[in-house]
Order: sequence, then C-alpha cells, then structure tokens
Amino acid sequence: MSLPLLNNLVKHKDRITELETENVITWCSGCGNFGILNAVMHALAIEEVGVKDAVLCFDVGCNGNASHNINAYTIHGLHGRVLSLAAGAKIANPDKKVIAFAGDGATFSEGVNHLVHSVRNNFPFVFIFHNNENYGLTTGQPSSTTKCGAKMNSAPEGVTAAPLNPLQFVLSLGPSFVARTYSGNITHMTETIQAAMNHKGFAFVEVLQACPTYNRETPDEWYAERVRDVKDLEDYDNTDIWAARRIVEDLDEKFYMGVLYKNEMLADFMSLQPNREGRKPLVDEVEPMSIDGMY
Amino acid sequence: MNRLRLKIVGASGTGLLSTGDILTNALSDLGFYAVSDREFPSLIKGGHSSYSLNLSPDPVYALSSGADIMIALDKNGMETYKDELKDGGILVHAYERFGGIKALMEEFESRGVEVVSAPGRKTVAELGGNNLMVNVLLVGMVWKLLGYDYGLVEQAIKEKFASKPKLLEMDLIVLKHGFDLVETKVDFPVPEGNTVRRFINGNRAITLGAIHAGCRAYYAYPMSPASSVLTYMAELQPKTKMIVKQAEDEITAAQLVIGSMYMGTRAMTATSGGGFDLMTESVSLVGMIETPFVAVIAQRPGPATGLPTWTGQGDYQMAKYSGHGEYARLVMAVSNAQDSFELIQHAFNYAEVYQIPVIVLTEKQIAESLWTVDDFEEGAIPIQRGLVTGAELESIESNDRYRITEDGVSKRWIPGSSSAYYFANGDEHLEDGTLTEDAEPSKQMIAKRIRKADTLRDALPEPDLYGEASADISFIGWGSSRNVMMDTIAKFKAEGKSVNYLHYSYLFPLKTDVLEQFMKDNKNVHLIEGNYTGQFGQDIEARGHKFAGKLLKWNGRPIYVEEVSEYINQNL
Repeated sequence: MSLPLLNNLVKHKDRITELETENVITWCSGCGNFGILNAVMHALAIEEVGVKDAVLCFDVGCNGNASHNINAYTIHGLHGRVLSLAAGAKIANPDKKVIAFAGDGATFSEGVNHLVHSVRNNFPFVFIFHNNENYGLTTGQPSSTTKCGAKMNSAPEGVTAAPLNPLQFVLSLGPSFVARTYSGNITHMTETIQAAMNHKGFAFVEVLQACPTYNRETPDEWYAERVRDVKDLEDYDNTDIWAARRIVEDLDEKFYMGVLYKNEMLADFMSLQPNREGRKPLVDEVEPMSIDGMY
Repeated sequence: MNRLRLKIVGASGTGLLSTGDILTNALSDLGFYAVSDREFPSLIKGGHSSYSLNLSPDPVYALSSGADIMIALDKNGMETYKDELKDGGILVHAYERFGGIKALMEEFESRGVEVVSAPGRKTVAELGGNNLMVNVLLVGMVWKLLGYDYGLVEQAIKEKFASKPKLLEMDLIVLKHGFDLVETKVDFPVPEGNTVRRFINGNRAITLGAIHAGCRAYYAYPMSPASSVLTYMAELQPKTKMIVKQAEDEITAAQLVIGSMYMGTRAMTATSGGGFDLMTESVSLVGMIETPFVAVIAQRPGPATGLPTWTGQGDYQMAKYSGHGEYARLVMAVSNAQDSFELIQHAFNYAEVYQIPVIVLTEKQIAESLWTVDDFEEGAIPIQRGLVTGAELESIESNDRYRITEDGVSKRWIPGSSSAYYFANGDEHLEDGTLTEDAEPSKQMIAKRIRKADTLRDALPEPDLYGEASADISFIGWGSSRNVMMDTIAKFKAEGKSVNYLHYSYLFPLKTDVLEQFMKDNKNVHLIEGNYTGQFGQDIEARGHKFAGKLLKWNGRPIYVEEVSEYINQNL
C-alpha cells in the first residue's frame, strides 16, 4: 500500500467505521466481494462522501447482498436492471454520488441493452462491474464471460460458446471512462474507484473478481500472476482508445489494470440538457406548475 | 340530441388528418361542443382512414356512428365508408374521373344522398395550385355547405400553413374558390353565446395533468397509442424544464421512473399493453420497496401486436394482476380529456402517499379523441407527497422506513434528507431494509404491505352515478363507457325513458358501498365493457351479483351511441 493512501485511510478511519454494519455477511470464504466492499468504503471515506451524499444501487447476484452491509442509502433492484435504476436516481438528484454494482450475468446477459445505452448517454455515475465469470448466487452456471470449455453447472460437458471481452465491448461503444482493477488488491481498487468517482460521466470499472467456490478456471492465484498496472507500461496514453483496445484484447496472459481509457471531452447526460442549466435538482422542483400557454 | 356528424374518409397519407384539424379548429371557434376521433391502420401511407367529428350545441361526449356529411378524399374512401353515410345525407368529393364512380354515384342517388363535387385536380391546377391543395378546395366547399363565417376557416388555414407562406397564398385562393363553388345546404345554427372552447385529446390532457402535478421527469419507449404523450412532453420541455427521455425499452423506462421516484421527484411513463408486459417485473419491485410509481397504459386490442391503432378495454385484469407476488396497488381509468387531466394528478398523490404502483388506464379512443373543454381548473387537486420533512427528519430512525404499522403505511423520506439511511431492498427485509429470510418478520412485512390496499380502499372515492338512483335499465362500466352512457342517458331522457349508469374511475381496489346500494335500487343491471370477457364485471360478480346482460365489444371499434340505444331497446 502506498504511503499517501495509508495516511488517507488513517485520517478517515472514523468515516470507515461509520460505514461498517453489524449485519451478517453471507459470502463464501475467500470471495472477492469482501475486498470490493472494503475498497468502496475506503474510497467513500477518503472522498469524504457522507451518508447524506450518496446512493448505492445494487443488482441481484452475490454482489447485491452487500446492499445492507454498508451504512448508506442503498437500493437493491432487479436482476440486470441496475444501470437504468441508477440513471433514474442520478437524473433526479445529480447532487448525490451514485454508484451502481452488478455482476457479469446482469451486465452482459440479462441487461446488456442497459449497458449499451448507459455508455451512449454517458450517465454521470460510477458502475462497478463485478466480473467473476459465473453466476455464483445460483450455484455456478456459466456467464457470457466464462472461459470456453469450463465445466459448469448447466454446462457439465464444458461451455461451448466463446466468452465476450467486456472491455473490448465497452470500448467499442465510445465510452468516457474505462478502468480495470482486481479484487485481490484493495489498494488498487480503492484508487481506481476514487478516480471513477471523480470522473464526470459514465465511469465503467471492471473488477476481476475471485470466486473460490465456482470459478475454478481463473482463481485468485491465476489473476494474481497475470495482473499488471498500466502505469508500468511505458508511453501508455490512456486518451488513445486504440491503445486501450489493443491492451484489453488479451484475456489469457496479461491483464492491465488502472484507468485504461478516458475521454474528458465527452459531455455527460446532464450537461447535455439545455433546459436544466442552472436549475435545482428535480427532487427540489416538485410543485404545481401552471399549464397556461401549454394547451 | 341535436348533433351534426361529419366524417372525412380516404387513404392514410392523403392529408386526412390535416383536413380534419383545419375543420375542427375552425369549428371550435363557433362555440359548439365537439368530439372527434380518427380511425387508421398501422401504416404511414395507404389503407383506409377516417376522421369523425360530432358537433352539438349541448355537451357531447361520445361519437355517434354514421355520418350526416361525408367528405371523401378519394374513391377508396367512398367505397369503404359508403354505408356509414346516412340515407339523405351529403357526400362531398373532388374525384374527377366520374366514369369510374358511376355505379357508386347511382347507389348514393338511390339512397337520396346529395352529391356535391368538383373536379379537384383540374380545378386546382387551373388556379395554379398543386394536387395537395385539393383538400383545401374540399374544406372551402364544406364550409360553404355549412354556411358558417368564412373568416374562421380562413384563419384556420392561415394557422395551419403559417410556416409555408409561399403556399399559403395559393391555399387561400383555392379555399375561396371552393367556398364560392357551392351553396349552403345545412341548417345547423351556431349556439348562442359563442364561447370559444379548447379542443384537446386525452393524451394531451394527461400530459398537462402530469405537468400540473409537478411531474419532473418523463421516460418512455414509443408505442401506439401512448406515443403522443412522449411527443407532447418533449414539445413542452422548453416550458416545463422537465427531463424527457426516450428510453431503450419499456423496462428501462420503468426503471428510470423507479430510480427518480425513489430519489424523491415525480416521474412517470406511458405505454400500451405490450410495453407494460415488459414493465411488470419492475412493478413488482415497486410493490416490494414501496416506492411510488405511475404508469399509464393506453389500451389497444391484443394479444400480441393485435390491432395497434384501434381501441379497447382489454388490459384491466393485466394491470390488476401484473407483477409477481402479492402487494397493494391502484388501478384507475380515465374517460375523456377532462378527467384525464384530473385523474393523473390524483394518481401521483395516491402513488406517493401509499407508496404503491398506480396504473392509469386509458384507451386509444380516449388518447386520440378530441373534446371541447373549458380551460382546466388549476390548483384544484393539491399535491400530496406523504414525505417526512422539516424537523422530523432529525428524529426519524432507519427502522421508520418500513416500520410495521396498523394501516400498512410507513414513513418515507427523500434519500439524503436525513442521516437515517435505509436499504430499499428488493429482497424481503426488516424495518430498516436489512435483508431477512426469517419466517416471522417475512410474514409480518408481507402482510403490512398488503394491508395498504385496505387503507387505500377506505380513502378512495366511490363510483359516480349518472341518471336517477333507480332506472328502468342500468349499466356499470369504466373508461370510455362513461362518454357513450352520458350521451345515451341524455338521449333516452328526452324520450321519457330512464337509464342510469354507475361509473368506476377507481377500479381496484373495488369500492362497494355505492355499488351495493345501486344493485338494491336497480333490478335490470347490465355490464358495458370494451372486451370479450367482461373483465371488470367479474370483480362485481365475485361479490355475488348477477348482471341481467352484458354489452361487450372487442373488435377494436368504440361502442357507439346507436349500439347502446339498440341494446337498451332490446333489454327494456
């Protein structure tokens, strides 16, 4: 852990404690979700986002069971739909930090259309994509990111369809922020989530997530050997989308982490609403409106 | 009832709608009460369409079938709709290949129809205009037939073509020429007082009602006959400063509404039955997390794509049973422009106070029919939000959010307005939203949410009774049935026969006090509904009542005054 981050954590330790609940955590031992939840708490604490300042939106899946494991306003919606739910929340009150969480099943199967249009619209919130390459909560069925040939529940002879490349897919949509991190490295996750929180636009953060129970193809150690920090890559320009597309192509040997791509010139959804310029959030505008002149 | 029935017929894309609009706008300035509707197939060009307009010096709510004057824009229109023109009526057309319509003209002649015609294209060409101006020629002819002030139709044309000044000049020449071609043949005097009224359709009225109620975000996916709400919301955006967003599908639209409502603003969506099918899982989420939700279903006949541009009342039970699991909800239904404006405001109040999904049913014939209305009354329905505000935000605690209460309603506050955070959990939960799968708290929480239905039922208004308390023949219905029944009651009253009607704007949960009295007071009670199975009637039958008969219609067409009259005469 870097010294500045450590100092920051010490400085904000009370905030971190405030975020912790006593509710029972129901993940398997060794699950990547523990680390992700901690990193989220660290990032919120360091960024000094208080309980009144944020809304956390959870999809259905193992990650969604965190919805009551953090002392915050949370909403735990339907499977596959969290991006639209979070967009609705953010539009209504852009003053709040909105962070959405969903797994690979929700993001790349049940609700892939919402991902496409969240990127297109550049809705200004953070999306933490938990990629553990399977449906954990329903006991280990393959997802669209499961490796070909993996023997899974519902595919006992091995998965036949080729996996999707999540970041290649997102980059093809013309995003404004794409990052990758790894559930075995809380420091890196914290810093990446902080960077996403400070981005003005749709911030897509893939977390390569260990699933010790069902993902035997790419366990924690498998990732640990393969992850690299993009900062160590000489001359890497994270405003060059083709550079990003080249390094995310590899899903076998080298997984580059960090902010892989950002385009700060891309206007976010809210700043493209000329009628909303200089106005209070929609939540503060509910009052009778005269319809004079509207017939 | 004294009414004049105009019907414009022709292929889609021949300017039928704009012809109807011009006449309607000109006529609305004369102080008549009016109702209009259009029939058209689900395509852009070709196919048969019609635009019906009924005028009366007295209030008029529903369309009468048939026509006194038919304006035919083409030969196909004449052929398709010829039987709807009354014997002795007037046919106005500008078809010039008279050889091709010889048989048709002979048929009209034998029925005593007076044909008023001009060779349209030839006439317009001689004046220097183009083929599209034939409709303007027809408008001029019709206006003269009716004998109304030329200045009004001239003004209507000027407004319609304001954006095309070059063409306008020629249009006015053509209009005047048409006007001068014919003689006045209709004696339908302008009402005294000359009150100018608004002419507005149901979807526009719903849009205005929502805006007036403080709705700040509108999300939708296009689907007939709900699409025009999206069009109107978008058009009015510069005035309302709302967020109006076309979503990638209906699921998204519903989720955007939930997210925005959860956050504490007012948002809504509108769709038709198929789109609402996609929203139903989201409705179930709303039932669970007790977030307000307002959706309008503009009904058209299903199943599947069904009859996309036609009307019906086939989705009541779908709305009532939509979404898995058991939870409280409100299903209500509008009838016309006036109550569309009012009921959508109530929908927001009920949704917020009871933290439930509210489903507002409209119908194609309500969504697109135009009615004359006086200006809507503003401020008559105060906004009720049911939110914790002010000092109480300091004292509430997380457990208040889903507190088990006697009436089922717990406190709700805007996320971020208090340090008492809560989990809006789609999983079963404890009072602060913490997930639970334990038997006892689950049992209590499920019961709490369902108890809200009883609390809501107590708060809802009783159905409206039209006509006397007791009558020779009685009807119960909802939605557009009110329009046809109000015209029917007036018609039979004039004939000295008593008809009454019990109208439900709030269908579910069912109010029963007035119903029970109505069933005691009346012995010849019939159901009137625009579907095959008598869906709402089943709720009344479930209380042990029997209908003497059922007037049901499911072919996509409205129930006309004449049909109800015939039914009454058979059952009286």
